[in-house]
Order: sequence, then structure tokens, then C-alpha cells
Amino acid sequence: MMIKKLALAGALSLIAGTATADCAFENETEVRILSAAFEAWNAVTEAMAECGNVSAELDQEFRTKQPSAFAANPSLYHVGGVSNGTITPLMNEGTIRPLDDLVAEYGQHLSSNQLIRINGEILAVAMMVNTQHLMYRADILEDLGIPVPTTWEEVLAAAEVIREAGVVDYPLGATMRAGWNIAQDFNNMFLGFGGTFVNEDSTPNVNTEAGVRALEMMMRMTEYMDPEYLVSDSTYVQQQFQQGRIAMANLWASRAAAMNIEEESQVVGLVATAAAPTAMPGGSPATTLWWDGIVIAANISNEEAENAFRVAMEGLDEEMVRANNDDAIWLVPGYQPSPLAEGAIATATAEPAPLSYPSTSQMGLMHTALGNELPAYFTGDVTAEDALAAAEAAYITAAQEAGLLD
Amino acid sequence: MSDRPRAMRQPVSLRLGSAAFLAFWCLIASFPIFWIAVMSFKAPVDAFAANPLDVILGPATRAAGQGLSILDIAAGLAVLYLTVRFAMRWLPGRVAAWSPGGQVWAGWIIGGLAYGVAFVVVFLGVLPVVLGALNPVLGPLGKPVLGLTTVHYHSVWVENEFYRNFLNSLLVTTGVVIVSLTVGTLAGYGLARSGSNLAFWLLIVALVFRALPHSVLVAGYLPVFINSAEWLRPILGDNAPTLYGQPMAVIAVLVSINQPFTIWMLRSFFQNIPAELDEAARVDGCTHFQAFRWVIMPVMWPGVITTGLFSFLLAYNDFLVTSLLLDATNQTMVPAIAGYFNRETTTTDQVEAVAAAVSITAPLFLLVMIFQRQIVSGLTAGAVKG
Amino acid sequence: MHFRTFAGFVGPSVFLMLLFIAAPLVGVFLGSFQITQPVVEQVEVETCTPGFLTQTCTTELVTRPILDENGNITTTTEWVGLTSYIRVLEPGRAWDAVRDLDYNALMQIDFWAALRFTLMFTLVTLPLVIGFGLAIALAVNNVARSIKGPVIFVSLLPFIITPVVGALSIRWLFIGDGILTSALEMWLDRDLALFAQAWTIELMMLFYRVWHVAPFAFVIFYAGLQTVNRDTLESAIIDGASRWDRLRYVIIPHLMPLIVFVALIHLMDSYRVFEEIVGFSSQAHVISLQWLTYDFLQPDDAGNRAYSRASASAMLTMVGIVILLIPLLRRTWRDHKGAPH
Repeated sequence: MMIKKLALAGALSLIAGTATADCAFENETEVRILSAAFEAWNAVTEAMAECGNVSAELDQEFRTKQPSAFAANPSLYHVGGVSNGTITPLMNEGTIRPLDDLVAEYGQHLSSNQLIRINGEILAVAMMVNTQHLMYRADILEDLGIPVPTTWEEVLAAAEVIREAGVVDYPLGATMRAGWNIAQDFNNMFLGFGGTFVNEDSTPNVNTEAGVRALEMMMRMTEYMDPEYLVSDSTYVQQQFQQGRIAMANLWASRAAAMNIEEESQVVGLVATAAAPTAMPGGSPATTLWWDGIVIAANISNEEAENAFRVAMEGLDEEMVRANNDDAIWLVPGYQPSPLAEGAIATATAEPAPLSYPSTSQMGLMHTALGNELPAYFTGDVTAEDALAAAEAAYITAAQEAGLLD
Repeated sequence: MSDRPRAMRQPVSLRLGSAAFLAFWCLIASFPIFWIAVMSFKAPVDAFAANPLDVILGPATRAAGQGLSILDIAAGLAVLYLTVRFAMRWLPGRVAAWSPGGQVWAGWIIGGLAYGVAFVVVFLGVLPVVLGALNPVLGPLGKPVLGLTTVHYHSVWVENEFYRNFLNSLLVTTGVVIVSLTVGTLAGYGLARSGSNLAFWLLIVALVFRALPHSVLVAGYLPVFINSAEWLRPILGDNAPTLYGQPMAVIAVLVSINQPFTIWMLRSFFQNIPAELDEAARVDGCTHFQAFRWVIMPVMWPGVITTGLFSFLLAYNDFLVTSLLLDATNQTMVPAIAGYFNRETTTTDQVEAVAAAVSITAPLFLLVMIFQRQIVSGLTAGAVKG
Repeated sequence: MHFRTFAGFVGPSVFLMLLFIAAPLVGVFLGSFQITQPVVEQVEVETCTPGFLTQTCTTELVTRPILDENGNITTTTEWVGLTSYIRVLEPGRAWDAVRDLDYNALMQIDFWAALRFTLMFTLVTLPLVIGFGLAIALAVNNVARSIKGPVIFVSLLPFIITPVVGALSIRWLFIGDGILTSALEMWLDRDLALFAQAWTIELMMLFYRVWHVAPFAFVIFYAGLQTVNRDTLESAIIDGASRWDRLRYVIIPHLMPLIVFVALIHLMDSYRVFEEIVGFSSQAHVISLQWLTYDFLQPDDAGNRAYSRASASAMLTMVGIVILLIPLLRRTWRDHKGAPH
């Protein structure tokens, strides 16, 4: 099966002393990598390690460590794994280097889609996209004669039918754990209702009609969910699916493959994916697009950077993708979309298309503020307007401290 | 207990009540740990099953062809029982007999390690081989009744190289215990023998330090440690080390954080050693340091062992400091386990995390089994009078 | 003892504490009155990110820090007086809530909600830990010698087990349809969701803390029980003291210093309650003071840490613990003055 025993405990270093034939060249200089810890990074760093002298650190604390580790001189790592959420501090602090020269020399095989350009400069090379989209139990929807929902209203209608049929514990699941997760779910819905998070002068703009409608829609969803939704993160929702306890959820594409792991899933082959539902008819899917990719540190010598980039390219080659095809929605040439990737592709190619998660300081502050303040609405302590006003207040305090607002 | 005066004998109702309460407490104390141990041996479907019987009997695990027969269970329990019994009855005597005078603690370390290794060899090495040969012969007794798989332990220790984390934990813990006790005994003795107000205020400040939330301190270390190569360069030249990720730096931090508790504990011990002892030595012409070395050190071991155990627990169990200040190559076991949960996980990962969690509990078991008497007698000797 | 000798003995210990505790603490103290912020500029930036097949490029106004010639962010540090404290305490909102007797509104301010929980947690667990510890110690002291060893061993387990592992093991018993939740559901014949409301989560956290710390109290008290003076007990019996009287007038006074010791340690430890919040992921419902500090220090997605507010909240936490400790410290001071040297 596609599950491979994860070879890494929270973090693990692969110090491959011997270069194997799988790598185009034998790496002589040490290359250190710090990235997030999930299956796709595992695959990429293992492929890099084939070149020898690579030590990869897949760390759940990478978000905390990466900015300061790259700011050190010399930088503690050569290569960083980032996403559009986590590249912001590195970009702001200027601790990653432009890659145009290196791409021209060693990266001809990269598709232009993979090159993350900021003001024309290539700052990162993307390897995969990720998005939250609709995953549903195809068997249940078929049995009950429900068409695949395309809007959230339809999702709620379908949930009502499923609840009445009583085939699962809870019709809906959602990644609404307090903090980052619930804020992300709100972001999706808020963008789906056409909201914008901040004005041009950095003042907040979430306590609006779109914000209230997004929260109300989420509240209506919770009626069909496990009442413990404020502690449910992606893994929890994934397990609910695997144990056949929920029928639909707006879940990360990177989680889809887990539905078909025979050792742990009781619903193998029964889960299908579709584009994320829209919040308003004719709107864009209520979700955001994410990418994951690599960056190279600025505070290292040019030779080290060149070497690190070559090693990274070995990790992002076709061979790696062929061996790990289902671990992610790869952007690397050679990727064969599996049936489970349909939802992600439909989401990304929808018209109008959902936005990429914005890599801005304001968004980072807003995300944190929302994650801290919104749960009060769901515990019933405050109204939607009050929760959004509290989030705006928290954002303003943080923005003042960060120098974004006066 | 027969020497008790008649009036101290207890009515049956009280004895029953007390025994029932104790039994209830033992159940509560051990159940969560017992339960994760059970989970760690099951296939993911069984481990997270809603029906407790499924978790215990493990039908899915058994269906996959992995299970224990009645014979296996009986033999395993027998070995476990004997292990515990020998650890309590036989080991202390052996250690006392074999270790050179005054060096009992060294004897305990070596004896404990040897005992642990012997147990692992017998339980995981010899036993399966013997039973593997016996089971097919015995018919119904040899048929699996209880689903059980060690595959998670295999993937944790062999594939995920958890032994690296184990060695790191060993390094950090040993370092913390040794440095902490060395520095702490000196300070504890000084504080116990000095009646000055300075000594008192030092203790009070130490007490306030102990009350500080650690997250405040730790967050202050991170940028300093990461950039240490930069700011140490003027002092140490180009070889200035990056302290981030160095076990030595973490040892220093953990020792300091634990210093307040250590000096309070040890001060109480030294206060219970009569001051006349070292005063007599000083009358004979010893300096304070000589009196400490030749008079106090030989009698301070019970207190030091108890305090050392507390230091050990702190270093072994620490999460906040080690997870922030160590990089992957030097990571200890606790942050490694937390890592299993925090990345994007599959259910299999979670059961592996449970197996890792049980693995790190095993040395603690062994430790307490061996040192249990020392803890109680050490505390009785006076660590807690202050 | 001469000062120099004394300094020789305590020197290494004091040095370590100064370097790794006092120095960061001074930094935190100063930091709570300062705000350091980057100098920022607004620039128009075109960002191209991948879709599945083609890229989308957006142009937007982005605020970013200005870098100096060494590539470091230019920052300014200002003394801001009590601004950070005011941001943490929100005295205006808090006062309004108090004036309107609106408890709910007060609990919407993070600091006050955290303070409420922290104090409740500390003061509720304290008597429970001491009571359970004492009860277990008395019961263990009561059992036959032959099973004392195993009983002490089992009783110590919750204390020695790694806190992260302990909290998780309790969490697994209850989360979702964990087996204890299922058992409770069968017993009460209703659907339960223990992680869905604040009070059940708080109950679980209290249970976990008492479970974890009671063995520590137990082993200390048990050690103390071994030194109870037999003669005093026997003369109490001769005087006709009942079992309860003996406990009340002989054993408890004998254990009093130990009870104070355990109370002291427990006050300090439970006042900085933190693992429970993480282990039970309760931040939506309840937070504690140390968690609040920790949360300020966690970098957000833009990489900013709220150092100033974290420092202020840390200083407030410290003031709180010192106030709680004062009665116990006064006792220590009296002992110190009265102690023979």
C-alpha cells in the first residue's frame, strides 16, 4: 500500500554517508535542511539525502525556529522548507536569497509554474500545492440520492438528509480546533463571502457583513458536527473519516491519501473529493490555495548556496515524484493525478479561482488574532459582531507593536 | 505488626475501608498507564476502537495473525513477576555486597543497568524463541487468544532510530544529575552552615526563582543561543560555537532551572547532620572544605540520592527546554514523542507515538523499582524537614 | 562561617542562577516597559504563486521592514511606560465589566480569564493534593509489610511518569468516544462530549493534576509518618485519645512542616499550570497565566513575537506568585530567626 513507515520521529537526521547512483552528483559539502514535518517533506528530503552529506530536520517547531535560525550568521541551515504562510518572516528579514542565477544554471527542468516570483525575482521553488476541499463518502451520498454539493447551503441540506437517515454519527466534520485551524476555516468562508481582511492602510476589515455571514454559516455547520469540534484538528477529522463517523468535511488535500490506508481506515475506496463548496452562488470556492517549496539561506557563501540548490533539485526530480506520487499534489513534472486529487484540481482551476493565502505581515497578525478571539463566539459567550470586534482590537494591538499601525 | 499495643490495633471496618481506598487508588494510579501500554501493542484499528474489549483482545490484530497464546501469557507474567521480585529482594543485597565501601551509588548505577539489560535480553530475546518452539506443539494452549503486535516498537526503535533519542536523553540526564548535585551539595552545605541573613535571602530569592514560569526564561535563551557564534566571536575567535543544539548548553540551563529546588532539598539534609560533626573536625585543624570532604561527604549519600532522583526526573521529563533548544541530531525522547503528534499524522503514527511513550516510561519503572526504598528512607532521613 | 568560605561554597550555584535565571529576568523586567518595533515601508509588490496548471500573479501594497546595509532589520526601541501592562490588563474594559457586574464581559479579557482559572486551579487542587496524599500515606502505612513495596511502587507511578505522556494518556481515555467517555455514557445513558464545554475540561484538568501530584505528597508524608514518635502516640492512647484525636493532635502537628513544604511546592507548580492547557488543548475554553505568556511569545505567521506584552504578563504572573507565597515566606522567616546555628 501507499503507506510507508514514516522514517522520522518528529525530527530525524539522515546522515547518508554514501552517495548512491540515484543522485546525479556526489555531494561533498554539508547541506542542512529545516522544514515542516509531513509525508511530502519526508519524501523530498530522503531523495536529497541520496546525494550524501545531507542532514534534514523535519520539525514541528520549524515555524518558531526558522526565522531566527536563518537570521544567524552563518545561517544554521542551508535549505528551508516553507509555504506561503511561513515564507513571510524570511522574506521580511531578507534572510533568503534570490534564486534566478541558480535556476538558470541548474533548474532548467523546472516548470515556470513552480517559480515563486516576488517583484520578478525568484525567491522560492514550489514543489506541491495544497488546499482544503470537499471530501465526502461517495457511498452514502449515492445511497441517499444526494448530488455532490457545490455550495455550503447544499452541504447543509445534504447534512440534514444524512442526519435524518442516521447512517453516521455526525454528518459533518471540520478542522475547527481553537487557534490556527479555526481561523483558517474562517478565512476560507470569509473569502468565500467576498471579504477582505485588511484595508490598504493596514486597518482591519473583518467586522463586516462578510465576516458575520461567515461566522453564522460556520455556526450552522456546527449543528451537524461532533460537539467537540473546538479540539478537532486535521488528524482528528481524518480519523473521524477513517472510522466512518462522518460523511463530509472540508479537509486538506494532503490528507486524502490516508482514507485508503488499509491498516487504519474502515472506509477504503469510499471517500471521494470535489471542489471546495462556494459560500455564495457564483462565487469562488470558499478556500485558499497553498504551496510548499524550498528556499535557500542568504547568510551562507555562494558556493554553499550553489551546492545546496543542486542537492535540493535532486530532491525535486521526477524520480522522487514517481516513487511518492500520492503523497501530495505535486507541481513537479511527472506527477500523475490520482482520482483523489480531482477535488484539489477542480478547486484550483475553478472559475473564479480561490485566492492564494496571502504572504503578508498583516495576514499573519490577523490570522493569530482571529484564532484567539473567534472561539468565544462558538462557546456562546459573545455575539458574532463582538467576536469580530475583539479580533479587530487584538489585531490593532499586535499591529501597533509590529509597527504596522500608529 | 504483632508487637503493637492492643489499643493500636484497628477495628475491621477501618482496616477494610483503608484497604478498599488503597485498592481504588492503585487502580486509578495505574490504569491510564496500563491502558496506553495495551494500546501500544495493537493494530491502529484496535487501539482506537470504542469498545474496550476490542482494545484489550485486539480482534483486528489477531486477524492479522499476531497474538499471544495462553502459554505465552503465563510465561510472560512469570518472568515479569520474577523480575520485580528479584529487583526488590535480591538486587539490593547483591549491590551492597559487591560495591566497594562508600561507593554504593556507583554499584547501583552499574547494577541497575546490568539488571535492565538482562531483563531485556531474557524477555525480548530468549522468551520469544523458546515459546515459538513450544507453541505449535501444545495445541489449544498454543493458539493465539490475545491480539498483540510489537510492530510499532520495531518501527519506533529500529526504523525511526529512537535509540538515538534515547542516547541523547541519557547524555542530558546524566549530565544534569552530576552537575546539579556537585554544584548543589556545595551550595546546600554552605547555606545550611551559615546563619547569615545573606544565606536566608539567597534561599528566598531561589524560592521566587523556582516559582517563575519557565516559558519566560526559555524564550529569552533561544535568540541568544542561536546567535552565540556571533557574539562569542570577539571573545573566543573564529571557533566560537553555536550553543543552539548543544547538549552541554541544555544541561547548563536545566541545572540552573533546577538549582533552587536542589539547594533547598540539600540544605535541609545538611541541617539534619549535626553541626558538631564538622565543628569537631575543624577543631582538629580542618578547613571548611576539608571538613566537608572528609566528614560530611561520607554521610550525605541518602540525601544526595533522593535529590539526584528528583533532578533525574526533571531532566528526563523536560519538554519545554529540550524541544526549543535542541536540534534534531541531539533531540531527547520527550520532544521526539511530541513530534509524532504535531506533524500531519496518520493513525499508525499515533500508535507509534504511544509505543514510544510507553518505551520512555519503562526506564522510569525500573528506576523507581530499584530506588524505591532509597527514596523513602532518604526522605525520612530529613530532606523534608525544612 | 566566613563570607569568603561561604562564597566559595555557594559561588557556582549562585553564578548559574544569576546567568540563567536572574539575567533573563532583568531582561524581561526592562522589556516590559519597552517596545521594539521594526521601521517599515509600504511598497507595491507583484507576487506570482502557483495554481495547479498556471501561475496567478497579484499586485498588492505590502508593508515590510526596512533593512540596513548589513541586511538586518532596522528597529527602534522606545520606552513606553505602562503601555504593555495596560494592553494586557485592559483596565478600562475590566472596570466597565466590574461596574456593570458583568462577569461574562470580564471573562472575555484574556488576562482576567487566565487569572480566574489559575487561581481556581491552584486553590482547588491544593487541599485535594494534601488530603489525598495524606490519606494514601496513612492507608499505605496501614497495610501489611509484604505488599507495602508494590503498593508504594504503584502509587508513585503517576508522579514519575513524563507529564506530557501522563496528560496524553488521560486525554485518550476521554476524548471523542474514548473508553471512559463510553463507559460514562453507558452508565448515565446519555451522549457526552467532555471536550465540548469549559467545566468538564476543567474537571479533567483538576483530576489530572491531583492524579499527578498526590503521589509526591504521599511519599513525603509517608516518610514523615516513619518518624512519628511512638512514645507520644502511646501516651496519647493511655490518655484515652480516640483515633481521630491522635491524628488531629499528634500526627498532623508532627507532619506540619511537611505539609507546608508540599503546599509551597504545589502552590508554585500549579500556579504556573501549562502542560494541562496544551495536553487537553483547552485554549478555546480555559487558559492559564503561563499559557498566556507562552502564547504572546509564539511567533505569529508574520514572525512577530509580542515580547513586550509577554514580559508584562510574565511580571504580573510573578507578582501574583509572590503574593501567594508571602504567608509561607513569613513562616520561613520566623523559622530562620528562631533556628539554632
